[in-house]
Amino acid sequence: MAYRCLNESHWPMDFVSNGCFDLCGYHREEIESKRVLWGDFTHPDDIDEVDRLVSRAANNRIPFEVEYRIVTKNGEIKWVWERGRVVDETNDGTAILEGFITDITSKKMSENALIHAEAYAQAIVESAAEAVITINKDGQIESFNRAAQTIFGYSLVEIFHANCAQLVPPSQRYEFELALNSHRATRTLAGIEFEVTGLKKTGEEFPINYSIAKIEAVEEDKYVMLIRDLSRQRKNERELREQRELLAHTDRLNTLGEMAAGIAHEINQPLTAISMRAQSGLRFLKNTEPNLLRVEEGLNMISSQAHRAGAVIQRIQLMARRQEYRRRESIDPSLLIREIHEFAQLEAQSRDFRIRLNLCSSPLNVFCDTVQIQQVVLNLLRNGMDSMSAANCQRNTEIVVQTECYQRTVKISVIDCGTGVSDELAEQLYEPFRSTKDFGMGIGLSISRSIITAHESKLSFSNNATSGATFFFTLMGVTEPRQ
Amino acid sequence: MTGPKQTKHIQHVYIIDDDDAVRSAMCMLFESENISYVAFSSGNVFLENYDSTMSGCLVLDIRMPGLSGLEIQKQLIILKSVLPIIFISGHGDLPMAVKAMRRGAINFLRKPINEQELLDGIREAFEQESGVRQEQHSQEQLYKQYALLTQRERQVLSLVTNGETNKAIALELGISERTVEVHRSHVMTKFEVKTLAQLIRVAITLE
Repeated sequence: MAYRCLNESHWPMDFVSNGCFDLCGYHREEIESKRVLWGDFTHPDDIDEVDRLVSRAANNRIPFEVEYRIVTKNGEIKWVWERGRVVDETNDGTAILEGFITDITSKKMSENALIHAEAYAQAIVESAAEAVITINKDGQIESFNRAAQTIFGYSLVEIFHANCAQLVPPSQRYEFELALNSHRATRTLAGIEFEVTGLKKTGEEFPINYSIAKIEAVEEDKYVMLIRDLSRQRKNERELREQRELLAHTDRLNTLGEMAAGIAHEINQPLTAISMRAQSGLRFLKNTEPNLLRVEEGLNMISSQAHRAGAVIQRIQLMARRQEYRRRESIDPSLLIREIHEFAQLEAQSRDFRIRLNLCSSPLNVFCDTVQIQQVVLNLLRNGMDSMSAANCQRNTEIVVQTECYQRTVKISVIDCGTGVSDELAEQLYEPFRSTKDFGMGIGLSISRSIITAHESKLSFSNNATSGATFFFTLMGVTEPRQ
Repeated sequence: MTGPKQTKHIQHVYIIDDDDAVRSAMCMLFESENISYVAFSSGNVFLENYDSTMSGCLVLDIRMPGLSGLEIQKQLIILKSVLPIIFISGHGDLPMAVKAMRRGAINFLRKPINEQELLDGIREAFEQESGVRQEQHSQEQLYKQYALLTQRERQVLSLVTNGETNKAIALELGISERTVEVHRSHVMTKFEVKTLAQLIRVAITLE
């Protein structure tokens, strides 16, 4: 809309072009007759500012440009852009303006949307719990959100334009930069997280993971990195693991206590033999004609029996061992079973049951915490024998430990011929502190299950066709050359 | 009274223990003390070889695979064995120990064993066994002697030990006092006794 008006209050228009109707909903005649003034439909919030800008330009006799809102005849608010200049003045010195006013609502709206979107994105970035960092193609940090500042301890000023490799310990910088370079070459990185060690301003190292993405639609290559502090998560994981290990240890000690009679027997046997050999040796020496050959024989036996007692103690240590520094390891499943079999024999012998091993031969090792898995097998064996006692099994009845090797896994089963598991019992089978036994603590099966779960597997059971039950679980196999 | 002659059996220790090391050590201990022994690795092997003429005592491990010590004891009671039993036990077998002692075990030793206690126990067991055998033997002897008595002599013995006088016996049996005296003297000779008191003791044993 072109116009000509006086720079007076509310800008009475002498002339407006036909575009006025489209713009503000008033007819040309209504405006030119000055029944309505332009200032009447200028947005009340904007009118003072428009007046100020226009008057200043008019006084200085310079052109002006101004953006403001108008309220149209039917009440709609529109953004307009106006450009004008003084063309003349009246006799009393009032400036006469000519100019052009156009509707910029749609442009203004999209601009606003952009500003909103930016503010929105900014708010997200600032309130995020993760560190959000943008880096340029050289790896220099260009933005560093609030979480990043909290996590790493640097202010934006301190870290601005520093290389992002400064956020990892010096020993790991080379590898980190290599990784970043290869990330840049890879297009589809969204959602992939990498775990590294982070370095705080204080020098403290801590576990982090990060993901990286390229920012599209900017001239220069820029990347955004999302970094998460894993310290708390790691601490929780560690606490959970420690709790489980403590419980497992308690269970092992408890098992040892329950097996004390069998263990004492196994140690008393060699001690008895040693003591009697020593006594007879003394008596042979006291004879008028000392029988040195017999004494020598006795000493040899004493020595071998002392070793026998030592071996029993070693087997017990296997169970009593605390595992603070133990890691998962790759172990031959047959070796794992044989070791615990020797220990379980203590119990089996005194209860007159026989443990039969049915082991597969396979090149597969299993990857596990050996002591804990052995503990599970022992628990299952002892439970099985309890069940067999409850079923009044004949002496010499067999309980079987079986391994089955598959391509990638090894299945370990303990098969008893006891009472089996009733539906009623099955419901509360794994509940801690539930025991069907008079002296049981009732944590055996529940700790066994949590051990197996921690090995990404599941402890299951089924009743056998004839009698008793089978408890089984599967471990991941690893191929490893055996010595 | 002249007792029966001493038994001529040699006394052995019968060792039953499944543990080779313990068993052979025990053998060596007995050897060093000149005690004769026979060792078995299980209750079954022992029972297969058992006969009632075995003399001495048993040293039994209470906890064994197969037949336990207690079960061997039970079998021997059924077989009316007189062999005294010394039980050897490990830790925590107290309830079994009580059971074994109730059934007549003469001793109960805990591992590791005090050897002197074991040797003393064995001597005690040997004495007890020969005592029992002696008693058994003299009783058997008396039955044999009793079998040699005539019907009339048995009647006289019964009445004498009831405290009847010769006169009363003669009246009771309808024979002369003199004949009673002859029967009585035959009875005393056959039982190899010289006084009435000794004869009465024989009669009590026979009852």
